[in-house]
Amino acid sequence: MSVLAMPRLRVPSPLALGGTLLAVIVAATLVGIFVTPYDPTAFSVRVRLQPPSLLHPFGTDEFGRDVLSRVLAGGHLSLATGFGAMLISLFVGVPLGLIAAFHRGIVQEVIMRAVDLLIALPPVLLGLLVLAVTPPGLGKTIAAVGLVYIPILVRLTRAVALGLLEEDFVQAARARGEGAIPILWHEILPNAWPPIIVECGLRVTFAILLGSALSFLGLGPQPPASEWGLMIAEGRDFLTQAPWVCLAPGLCLCVLLVSVNLVGEGLREKLDPQLRGRAHG
Amino acid sequence: MVDAALHVEGLSVAYATRAGWLKALDGVSLSIPPGGVLGLVGESGSGKSTVVLALLGLLGPSARVDAQRLDFDGHDLLHNAASIRGRRVGVVFQDAAASLNPALTIGTQVIEPMRTHLHTERRAAWTRGTELLDEMGIPRPAEVMHSYPHQLSGGMKQRVGIATALASEPDLLLLDEPTTALDVTIEAQILSLLDELRKRRNLAMLLVSHNLGIVDRLCDSVSVLYAGRLAESGTTSAVLHHPRHPYTKGLLAALPRPDRPHAGRLAPIPGGLPDLHTLDPGCNFRPRCAFAAEGCEQPQTSHGADHTVSCHRVEEVADLSWPIEAAPTATVSTKRTALPLLEAETMSARFDSGGWLARLLGKAGGVLAVDRVSLSIRTGEVVGLVGESGCGKSTLGRLLLRLLPARTGTLRFGGGVVEAQADRDFRRRAQVVFQNPDTSLNPRQTVSVILQRAVQWFAMAHGTAAVAAEIDRLLDLVRLPRHYASRYPHQLSGGEKQRVGIARALASRPEFLVCDEAVSALDVSVQAAILNLLRDLRDELGVAYLFISHDIGVIAHIADRVAVMYHGTIVEEGPVEDVLHPPYHPYTELLLSSVPLIGKGRRPSPAQSTTAAKPVTGGCKFAARCSRRVGQICDSVTPPLQQAGPGHTILCHIPLLELAAMPHWLGQQALSEEPTP
Repeated sequence: MSVLAMPRLRVPSPLALGGTLLAVIVAATLVGIFVTPYDPTAFSVRVRLQPPSLLHPFGTDEFGRDVLSRVLAGGHLSLATGFGAMLISLFVGVPLGLIAAFHRGIVQEVIMRAVDLLIALPPVLLGLLVLAVTPPGLGKTIAAVGLVYIPILVRLTRAVALGLLEEDFVQAARARGEGAIPILWHEILPNAWPPIIVECGLRVTFAILLGSALSFLGLGPQPPASEWGLMIAEGRDFLTQAPWVCLAPGLCLCVLLVSVNLVGEGLREKLDPQLRGRAHG
Repeated sequence: MVDAALHVEGLSVAYATRAGWLKALDGVSLSIPPGGVLGLVGESGSGKSTVVLALLGLLGPSARVDAQRLDFDGHDLLHNAASIRGRRVGVVFQDAAASLNPALTIGTQVIEPMRTHLHTERRAAWTRGTELLDEMGIPRPAEVMHSYPHQLSGGMKQRVGIATALASEPDLLLLDEPTTALDVTIEAQILSLLDELRKRRNLAMLLVSHNLGIVDRLCDSVSVLYAGRLAESGTTSAVLHHPRHPYTKGLLAALPRPDRPHAGRLAPIPGGLPDLHTLDPGCNFRPRCAFAAEGCEQPQTSHGADHTVSCHRVEEVADLSWPIEAAPTATVSTKRTALPLLEAETMSARFDSGGWLARLLGKAGGVLAVDRVSLSIRTGEVVGLVGESGCGKSTLGRLLLRLLPARTGTLRFGGGVVEAQADRDFRRRAQVVFQNPDTSLNPRQTVSVILQRAVQWFAMAHGTAAVAAEIDRLLDLVRLPRHYASRYPHQLSGGEKQRVGIARALASRPEFLVCDEAVSALDVSVQAAILNLLRDLRDELGVAYLFISHDIGVIAHIADRVAVMYHGTIVEEGPVEDVLHPPYHPYTELLLSSVPLIGKGRRPSPAQSTTAAKPVTGGCKFAARCSRRVGQICDSVTPPLQQAGPGHTILCHIPLLELAAMPHWLGQQALSEEPTP
């Protein structure tokens, strides 16, 4: 009785789809550092705020600069902010979260209260603190945004690890006399990855937005650099007359978000033997 | 059966899944007369709960329900169950804690059915609710009406669950594993409550359970379900005392009986449930059946009128019993000696509540989970540890493995003292097997990685080839095929997972294993196989076990000695034959009298107080629940440790002679029964 037998469409796996999209974006922005259709900083008063056309596929901004060229040229700044900040919060936050979960008591208290302190400060203020003392620059924007997202990764990792530490297979490892590092590395981390990966995907896009907020405040990449967030901020004034100035970098950010999340989802399935088995069977 | 209250004929249920229709039920017929109690038994996955949901019309849109007839007292349940659901048909689920809303008071939840179905005025409903709670044997019902679920014990919650189900005065009560989550003593109370209710209210009941003992205690008739089909149905005494279908025979043979300690090997049913996506036109039990022969591939028809059996060989196998699994012909190394392997002296464990700040301020509370327990286990000996949930059984097991810090006491193992931070040698020699096969294996590791990590950690083998050989040896030891090494835990059945857990514990060639409810999560047919395996391993390897279980049948089957634990204290300890018969501690008596036994019929339920009062400090901890209290002395003076026989001690004020005069709850004949080797 295969009345309800579902038609099997050849749907590309999320990992392949997201990976392809992400690769295209990364390649385009890397090429964009060196080659763009127009000079991304060249003013051209006569073609101010032109709607998308064959000559200017994404239109032009208020100085007559080609939006496509600017998006391509500035993409690497956004990507660097997003992924750089995500990596910082990942590599600092996950170990801290694991340690806090494993060592209850004073170690946990110190880590978690420090994290609470970071959360208590508004992200932009925290970014300002880091950036205000020294002249702004891309590296420092990344560090500041990374710092802002460390608490989220610490809390998430700790919550996941706390649940896993109660499981019997961890008790079995303890009964073998294994210490913190083998237990965390072999038993906890492989099972904790799925939510962490999904969270990291989200953090990439949030970091780009926060990075651009800092740019907007004059604390990130400075005009005439065409970082996407900065472009959205600049185009805001002409939103009704020339929506494409905001829309182009905004859509690029959107596609990036979707592709990063698809990759995250794909990795999650790839890493889970249970889901993997289902896909094959 | 015209006047049957519930009439089910040819009920079939299929669920839509990715792999097609999963046929959960295939032509099930049942009927319950008014005031009758039908037991529906079967292992997990047999479709028991699906029957309940089908009767309630709660199967959801992904299920396809067919039946020639499905009605209750003239109401069509197939199309219109919602009209009488909760009103004429009440239901009690397994997990009372989960079926009560934690945010609402008990009263609100008890009166809700009266308000919605009977449109009773609120004040009247409240009064009626209080009466109902009183009828359920809940002390201080007026207060309980105003309390929240978390303030009640598990047994009390289940009583509230039954009260809620009865609030709208139904004629049929569906009970889905109503006592499975409860302790055996509480279970006995709930069963006698249900028994009383059906007599008083002429209530029809459908009791769904995997526990044949409670079905025997409560039900008039029994239906045995296997993989969605009825294998056998008839009166309780016919089906459970003279089973005719091979599956029923197998289920009963696999069951460890507390009244038959050391009764040789159990008879497991090999294999697992068939794939329900493709229905077997013949007998679906055929692949696992010990009596399968020609003709089994033909569709089976039910034989008999009152006692129907869906097996064409019913006459031929009538006098045959299910074959017992052959013992392996391995060399038996009975390394049992008189020397103690493990000796615990006055060990205690305490769980603090509150964080470090509360502790610093001296505001932290806590419970003494294990209170100065002394226990010794000899090489190759199996010591059973039995008691209700929360009595500290598992905590003691962890103390003996030095997995929890002990407040007081010393632990000696193999002659040497084990420090609080145990060294690798102790870790190698003492290992653990867990209860839940689903959480005891890391889902991200293959069987081979799981075993390899233990082998390499203890340096039991060096080099890839040697490690692989060691893994093969371990898989052989637990009777798993070697190619299972490449599988992930989710590709194994529950019993197979448990075998991997045992193999992992055996990787370091330990001398002592703590089996923490190691067979409790398994179906009875699988449980029998694991119990046999553990017994064989004891004989082959000379491993000593601390066997923690709440199931006295399992303990009686496998243990040499038993320790009975109550609130952190061992109240009785001795050889298994002695502990199961008088003289025994009043708490042991309570446990034994509560065990639902097959063939003992409806026994008078044991006298016990329903209030679980807090144990007093200073006196006997059991005094508050004890039905044989001597007097004030029980509350104030620590009871003496009385020697009831060689190696048999009882912690009680009552003189031994009086303890010896207690009734034999498991039956006198068991004493004279020779333990078969």
